[in-house]
Amino acid sequence: MKRLIYPLAAAAIIVGSAFTVIKSQDWKIGDDYSVKFSSDDPSGVFKGLQGTVNFDEKDLASSKFDVSVDVATINTGNGMKNTHAKSDKWLDADKYPLIKFTSSSITAAGSGYQAKGMLDFHGVQKEITIPFTFQNNTFSGSFEINRLDYNINTAEPNHGATTLKVEITVPVSKS
Amino acid sequence: MFKKIFFQGLAAGLLAAIASIIYNRIYFFAFGVNFSKLVNIPVLTALNLAACIVAAIGYWLIKKWFGPKADIIFNFSFSILSFASIIIPVSATLPFDLKNPELFPGLTVPMHFFPALAWFTLNPLFKK
Repeated sequence: MKRLIYPLAAAAIIVGSAFTVIKSQDWKIGDDYSVKFSSDDPSGVFKGLQGTVNFDEKDLASSKFDVSVDVATINTGNGMKNTHAKSDKWLDADKYPLIKFTSSSITAAGSGYQAKGMLDFHGVQKEITIPFTFQNNTFSGSFEINRLDYNINTAEPNHGATTLKVEITVPVSKS
Repeated sequence: MFKKIFFQGLAAGLLAAIASIIYNRIYFFAFGVNFSKLVNIPVLTALNLAACIVAAIGYWLIKKWFGPKADIIFNFSFSILSFASIIIPVSATLPFDLKNPELFPGLTVPMHFFPALAWFTLNPLFKK
């Protein structure tokens, strides 16, 4: 019986390890987040940011972002522009109510990080890379987007800007 | 003559300001939107007074140049300019932290007619 103690202990450790999942930190999105877009015309913000933020600086391999914003919450600061933006000519908020980003990998890049993943916008899925930093429990990132890549009012390529800069600041707390 | 016209402008400005402040409160309670960052008592008072003082200067100049036809020209001009000025709130871009910008014209467009309305209301009193 004594001879079996060590093999049993070894087996217990191996079996036990199967239930051990290395899980990176889940973060709760704070209320003071901002999702801004800017161009010569238009500029504005989105609200309704929600999803899961799973990030650990020491375990980037298992970190993951799966977030979305509500298209209907667009605010350009002008009521008429908001109505136009939500219409089927532009973002078509009824048909495509969410803009989603799901990361496939997060890697270190320079002094920050970059998240590579799929942006689902206006019914078009396109892989993008978002460089970002994480300091003082706040994610900050920015990237550029071309609306024509997402089939947004392709009939009028010269109506307003085609390239928009998106700036995202998301304060988080441990959940 | 300018003194009398100036006081008419001042009185009309105050009346328009009071009307604007009351309308602002009614709008706030009716729709629950808060534009007080842009539309508040000091701003409404200053803008209505400024509009009516400018109108008074305009009336004085028109009266000098056109004599007996001044009232017709001034009334038409004041009404047309009031109407044309609604393009300002309709096309304004508000700060992004203000919610429901589509309700902003509903608050401010009627206010653009208050200076003219106040002027025309008080005009008979200053004609005597």
